[in-house]
Amino acid sequence: MLRLPALFLALAAVARLAAADLVPLKLTLPKPLFVGTPRPIQVANLEPGDTRHPPLMVPADAVLLSLNKPVTGSDSLPVIGELSYVTDGEKSGVEGTYVEMGPGVQWVQIDLGAPAQLAAIAVWHFHSQARVYHAVVIQVSNDPAFKKDVTTLFNNDDANADGLGKGTDFAYIETFQGRVIDAKGTNARYVRLYSDGNTSDELNHYTEVEVYGVPVK
Amino acid sequence: MPIPPRWLPLALLVLVAAWWRMHDLAARPMHADEANQAVKTGGLLETGRYAYDPSDHHGPVLYYATLPVAWVRGQRTLAALDETTLRLVPAIAGTIAVLLLAWLASPLGAWPALAAAAFLAVSPPSVYYSRDFIQETLLVAFTLALFLAARRFWRTRELRWAALAGAFYGLMQATKETAPLFALAGLIGAATIIPGQRSARDTHWPRAISIFVACALVVAAVFYSSFGTHWTGLVDAITVYGRAAGRLAAGATGHEKPWWYYLRLFGWQENGGLVFEQLGFSALALAGLVLALRKNDPLLRWAAVETTILFVAFSITPYKTPWQAIGFVPGLALLAAGAVGSLDRFPRGRFVGATVAAVVAVFLGFQSARVTGRNAADERNPYAYVHSAPDVLKFRALAQAALLAHPDRPIRVISEEYWPLPWYFRGLGNVGYWTALPEDCDGALVIASAGLAPDVRAHLHGGYTESFLGLRPGFVCVVFTPRS
Repeated sequence: MLRLPALFLALAAVARLAAADLVPLKLTLPKPLFVGTPRPIQVANLEPGDTRHPPLMVPADAVLLSLNKPVTGSDSLPVIGELSYVTDGEKSGVEGTYVEMGPGVQWVQIDLGAPAQLAAIAVWHFHSQARVYHAVVIQVSNDPAFKKDVTTLFNNDDANADGLGKGTDFAYIETFQGRVIDAKGTNARYVRLYSDGNTSDELNHYTEVEVYGVPVK
Repeated sequence: MPIPPRWLPLALLVLVAAWWRMHDLAARPMHADEANQAVKTGGLLETGRYAYDPSDHHGPVLYYATLPVAWVRGQRTLAALDETTLRLVPAIAGTIAVLLLAWLASPLGAWPALAAAAFLAVSPPSVYYSRDFIQETLLVAFTLALFLAARRFWRTRELRWAALAGAFYGLMQATKETAPLFALAGLIGAATIIPGQRSARDTHWPRAISIFVACALVVAAVFYSSFGTHWTGLVDAITVYGRAAGRLAAGATGHEKPWWYYLRLFGWQENGGLVFEQLGFSALALAGLVLALRKNDPLLRWAAVETTILFVAFSITPYKTPWQAIGFVPGLALLAAGAVGSLDRFPRGRFVGATVAAVVAVFLGFQSARVTGRNAADERNPYAYVHSAPDVLKFRALAQAALLAHPDRPIRVISEEYWPLPWYFRGLGNVGYWTALPEDCDGALVIASAGLAPDVRAHLHGGYTESFLGLRPGFVCVVFTPRS
């Protein structure tokens, strides 16, 4: 019984996106932080550090929904910083602008306050050094517990370390450009991001997460 | 109420030092230097053969000292060797050093001597490098033993102490090439206090010096010649200084740092939100230094001169690594203990002094817990110098699975830098290492540095999946696994 309204909602969302004018997503990028010359990383499934991606096309009325929104996480007492840093708008990446969570699989969750048609999610884990974060999974849902109606937007966890299923998305090198994920108009209020350490240490970091979308009226 | 025996506090302190140095030794990934030395030790363990290599290695004592520990633990091959066996050697030396310092500091009085030993027991660099398979902790222990034997000779004029001092100097020399600097600093320190003591015009001196030199030469020669099986090691042990001087003069070691590097290490620094400091300890040592200048205390004056010489010598040398810092710690601990011990002459001074010492020791202990615990391999940790990333622990399982799936194919490591992987792949057959692109890149598992990965990919045949593992912070490897 509940499936029919959900289907209508989804169709409405698709129709809305299709009808909307699409414009390039404009991100405010922080300054590059690599000091010196990092070892070149030029593999096919890594974005070259000096090349900008074609901008993701998003609805013209998409806005930044996540700024200063409440953040919870699997590590309520981070090693360094506060969970609120994830959405505080500060993404320079220097000391004091990122939250550091403990080793192993960790997640942060942003509550947008209300469901929205999500257009894009931009993530900056840690961009002052060439490193790759392991088992990055990004999910959205209207259920704060992420037990039902969960949509996985990105998953490069090829070993299923997070226990959310194996993913086929590519791993990527962290740069000041962050990583922009197409949210495909998914209707959701909560955004959850997982990782399992990185190639430099076992810890998990978030400098900033930005969620763009169109609020549901 | 029965009075506890006087040795009990020291025994408890040594237990604390031992626990801190010996627990969970396998937890931290192997540093590239440790791995390199471990593989060398494994070769000695398996074949009984060792040849001193003066180009990039230090003296032979560390490798030979590991043999009895390996034998006791039932390890006879490189494959059987583990991190605990290797790191137990410096851990034992570090624990003995605590006991030796308590003995050396005994002229300061019972509780200041205990304070000196406590400072060393919980000192962050001392604890960290007592858990690291490198030479420095052995050098510190042998240096303290040399000073004790020399002092014993000075007091008794018995030649056996001169012989023992010579043997310990021989061990120092066969441990690390910086040994002469430590001995010279101690000798100059002694020269500043000898005029105030018994006459140096002693008929024992020529014989004592001869015996000292003979014992030192014999012990050093035994190790550098690999127990008489590699005589060119003796020549290399001398010519190594020329090579080192050439490299230092060229400034091409890659470890050049500013003169204030060690001051910062013993002061305060914040790296990536983590604070590393030894301010209380350094302030006490500085107070002890001032005291040594004003007070006619031979031990304090000796420690002041010896430590200052070492600090200045290492600071003005552009080549600097954090493990060199542990050579300063015993002297700093003596000075700090002298400072708190000097409060004894004031009413309630002992209580105040002991409280200050305890507070400083607690702060040092907190720092030691930080640098040896969760942040043991963290690049922000000033002692985890160019350390391997925790990801290196994942390589072996991948290699084992690959060899199981493709037993007829090799594992290829194609990377400009690949240590500590040879340690983690010990005992696995058919593993090869290339620092440039080989003709044939295919294998059961191909590990390429990110820089060489595009060329490697272009040379691969058949389907491979790709994943990423870190060798150390900022150095990413691409792991190519054949699609089954």
